[in-house]
Amino acid sequence: MREPDFNALATRLLKSGITPYHTHRTVNELRDHYDDLVDAAVDAGANSKKARRLATAELGTMDDFVVEMASRRELKTWAFRYPHLAVVIYPLACLAVLPAMPVFAGIAHRATLMRWGVSLLGAGLVTALMMLAMQLSIILG
Amino acid sequence: MAQSNPPFMSGVPELLLLRLLNEQEMYGYELVRSIKQVTKEAISLGEGVIYPVLHSLERKGALKSKRKAVGGRTRVYYSLTRKGRDRLEKLRGDWSRIQGGIATALESGANA
Repeated sequence: MREPDFNALATRLLKSGITPYHTHRTVNELRDHYDDLVDAAVDAGANSKKARRLATAELGTMDDFVVEMASRRELKTWAFRYPHLAVVIYPLACLAVLPAMPVFAGIAHRATLMRWGVSLLGAGLVTALMMLAMQLSIILG
Repeated sequence: MAQSNPPFMSGVPELLLLRLLNEQEMYGYELVRSIKQVTKEAISLGEGVIYPVLHSLERKGALKSKRKAVGGRTRVYYSLTRKGRDRLEKLRGDWSRIQGGIATALESGANA
């Protein structure tokens, strides 16, 4: 029997609409539970390989667990709890956020923007100084 | 996880968990072992079945949880809230009534 794949379980729970919080917590608890089962089997005299096999069998299939979790509406994200509302709200939210996207992009790339800003300021300053020198040379010359 | 009980057992895990957590805080593995022990193995919940129930009860405010580091592992301990105690009393009453009803039905069936 294959050992439980907890990462695959987490992915399946997330795809079923379970919130990331409940997914990660459940998977961590289940992983600890599996370790406890292995320890108990080792204490009972099984070798490491047999202990893992027994623990896997006792834990059961992940399919039933996913079905059990997915049947609990209160553990799902709001978009899975109210899918019709999500279909309306998500596009509207995207439209509302669209005009602010340049601001968000600017915040996300503020270091690059700062570098560009400083470079432009420096270039402008040099140009202004050169023009001032030329003006002075014309006036005084 | 493993289906250890028939469908008519729906609601039993919740009642047993609330009953055990009314006495002391426990974590998942401990709860499964305790259920086997207190029911003299008459009821054996699937190892993973309790986690959705625990999370669901916590979400409804019947339980609260806290993390504790024990023996190099982080355990999530669950305990009952006031709302959980109220829920336990309600479920206890419901089950006593059902149990009484079934017992009466069986006795009257046996006497018929």
